[in-house]
Amino acid sequence: MEEKKGGLLAGIYSRTIKTTDAAKKVRPLTKKISQQAHEAAAEGKPIAYCFIMSLHDEIIRAMDITPIWTENYAAITAVKRQGERFISSAQGEGFPRNLCTYCTIQEGFDVMRHQLGMMPPDAPDGGMERPTMMLGTGMMICDPRYKSYQTAQRYNDVPVHVHGLLWPAADANLAEVQDYYVKYIVEELRDLVDFLEKQTGRKMDWDRLNEIIDLANKTYQVWYDAYQLRKAIPAPMPTEDAMSTMVPGYFWMGTQEAFDFYQDLYNEVKYRVDNRIGVIPDEKYRILWAAGLPPWFALAILNYFESLGAVFPIEITYHPPPPVEIPSHAKHPLERLAWRFFKQWTQRNEEAQRRSGDPMVEWMLEMIEDYKIDGVLAHRATTCRTIHVGQIHQLNVLRDYVDLPMLILESDICDVSAFDEAGTKDRIDTFVETLEVYKKRKQ
Amino acid sequence: MAEEGLAKVEKIYQDRGGRAKELRAQGKKIIGCYCCYAPPEIITAAGLVPYRITGDVKETIREADSYLEAIMCPFCRNSFDMALRGEYDFLDGFVVPHTCDNIVKIYDVWKYNLKPPYSHFINVPHTLSAASLEFFKAELGTFQRSIERLIGREISLQQLKESIKLHNEYRALVRELYELSKPDPPLISGSERMKVLLAGTRVPVEEANELLRSVISEVKERRDVPPKKPARVLVYGPEIDDAPFIELVEGVGANVVIDDLCVGTRPYWFDVEINGDPLGAMAQAYLEKVNCPRTYRPRTAGRKEDLDNRFGYIANFAKEYKVNGIILLILNYCDNYEFESVEVKDYLQQAGFPGLIIEVDYTLMSIDWLKTRVQAFLEMIS
Ligand code: SF4
Ligand code: SF4
Repeated sequence: MEEKKGGLLAGIYSRTIKTTDAAKKVRPLTKKISQQAHEAAAEGKPIAYCFIMSLHDEIIRAMDITPIWTENYAAITAVKRQGERFISSAQGEGFPRNLCTYCTIQEGFDVMRHQLGMMPPDAPDGGMERPTMMLGTGMMICDPRYKSYQTAQRYNDVPVHVHGLLWPAADANLAEVQDYYVKYIVEELRDLVDFLEKQTGRKMDWDRLNEIIDLANKTYQVWYDAYQLRKAIPAPMPTEDAMSTMVPGYFWMGTQEAFDFYQDLYNEVKYRVDNRIGVIPDEKYRILWAAGLPPWFALAILNYFESLGAVFPIEITYHPPPPVEIPSHAKHPLERLAWRFFKQWTQRNEEAQRRSGDPMVEWMLEMIEDYKIDGVLAHRATTCRTIHVGQIHQLNVLRDYVDLPMLILESDICDVSAFDEAGTKDRIDTFVETLEVYKKRKQ
Repeated sequence: MAEEGLAKVEKIYQDRGGRAKELRAQGKKIIGCYCCYAPPEIITAAGLVPYRITGDVKETIREADSYLEAIMCPFCRNSFDMALRGEYDFLDGFVVPHTCDNIVKIYDVWKYNLKPPYSHFINVPHTLSAASLEFFKAELGTFQRSIERLIGREISLQQLKESIKLHNEYRALVRELYELSKPDPPLISGSERMKVLLAGTRVPVEEANELLRSVISEVKERRDVPPKKPARVLVYGPEIDDAPFIELVEGVGANVVIDDLCVGTRPYWFDVEINGDPLGAMAQAYLEKVNCPRTYRPRTAGRKEDLDNRFGYIANFAKEYKVNGIILLILNYCDNYEFESVEVKDYLQQAGFPGLIIEVDYTLMSIDWLKTRVQAFLEMIS
């Protein structure tokens, strides 16, 4: 704890201090992810650019295709404060600065690697290898998921595949639409598998895919269970740790290593709960990190909150998807994936139809109750409309149901220049004072 | 004599929802629609009036800041601000198709805060696979059933086909209208044409067809044609849905003879197949033939073929309408167009059509700065 305090005093821009051993073990894994791509490139094996949450995980694992998670790489450059040169390189090509900086860093990186004819010098973790294919998604939200790779063909003239992944609006009658939604996802995944088979000359081993899905489902469950333990007071694990512990779940899913990681995390959090070991010694306020991607270069703002007695016991962002029941008739692995996806995205729709109209608000209301939350903070990453347009609305709706202090901080995921350190600190200070006022009022 | 032709267009353009309000007073229901992907055919077939939701470029945001982030598409924010000010109170419902991330978001915010009597979200796939077509057809079926619940009866096959016929007629008339820009100087200015198209989306399709017929015959006969300008240009972009931007370009030395805009050629350069299954035909027409970067056109061969497949139609417009250059008017925070415009500009440059990319905030606030840039570009290409 002493070490933590020293770190906090060093300010928002200092290195983020993690609480759990599990979170500290993640950096070697991100290095390994890059290393695996370097090895695959050296051996001439297939490598795919991918986005998270697109149902690629188990499929590419089953086909031994090495992923490069371009968002993850962009975040690493941001943590290392190296994003700017790639953003500028994309800007030089005409991409506006307000485009998603995960994507502009990827574009800018691709531009540089293409122009230099080699890896940009001093790129973090040895850089991103040139992919042999790029796998985008036509999702319900996040248009950059297909536009970015389509445009990147200017610099990587390799095949792109985009599969559709849609879910219905919150007010849709699920009984009326679910069959054709699931059928659609299954067929789009089948198209994806056809494409991958053609690109790699390999055949999908459906049994293996089923096994990997089993392992992934087990992993989601233990990951989810570990996070449920975070309801304890004092909070055993904070949001800044979750920003690391998400890595195996989002970038390494379907591996034994990911399962083992979350099993260890579960054990560690359980130990802390059983022994009442909190993130900070004197926990005064518990804040929910609402939907919003973090400023990767300034995660230490969360430590700053801690120095003021406020802890983030839980977060919406990168929370593992709660387990869902798959209909027993869904046996084919693609059907299992499709149902899992559909159910995960619609599981709060009926509650939303009965109450707030918004599944995300329903989730936040659940968390506020379960995790004994005193206030809500949302971070607005200004270059991503997907997640950050709608935050004002979510909080407006939330206010109709709970009386808690809420704050939106604004900067970006990767663009350091969007961050105002002094202003952010001031706003945090004021927010924590408000938490105190509310708390007193309630007592 | 009742007003017709361009005079009537001007009246509808100035009066915006005026005709819709009149119709509403007579018991008609008016359904507001965003973007190009909600087939008005289904609304018309139900005896309702589709009305395209646009913003107001003369207005800045007054109230929407408390509901929507400044990083959102300024057209969405602007149109929602109008709604907050009560300017869309005449709508009996609204329909939002899944065009892009921003439009998806506007659905919830509008519905929660303005509580329209009817609302419906139509999901639109981003890909053109066989599964996407099947899905979109099913989704249009869901939309049809939702409209049927609103009117309390089923829409017959005959009504649907009649409606498709009327809207096909409208699209054909729009294409005929554009033909009038082929001569040099064109017989109709770009800003006049924009007003015609806006007026056409604010009245029932039968009236829009009449209106277009009267405009076309008036323009064919007119003597006061727009003056010949040093340049002919194509304007490309997303929801540029008012005349002032086009007037600006025309005011500094060019005729805007063709466009690739949401209130422009984009929703009108196709027909919906009238024989066979109407939902399938609409799904195919709207998904495949509305050329918007929000739809991913799969690459089937090499890079060159891919670019031809995605942008060839713009180069064809440019050739057919003999333009000297392209102005790409991109709205801030419109991700799809921001990604795409870089490629479009390069492609058209290589096809022999120089381009200028300008990012605008939807309103007329930056008009002086815009003028200077457009002027410099026109001097270069003239
Ligand atoms: S969700 Fe946002 S941050 Fe992530 S890829 Fe999409 S636009 Fe970028
Ligand atoms: S202008 Fe762009 S961002 Fe706005 S609604 Fe249209 S496609 Fe979406």
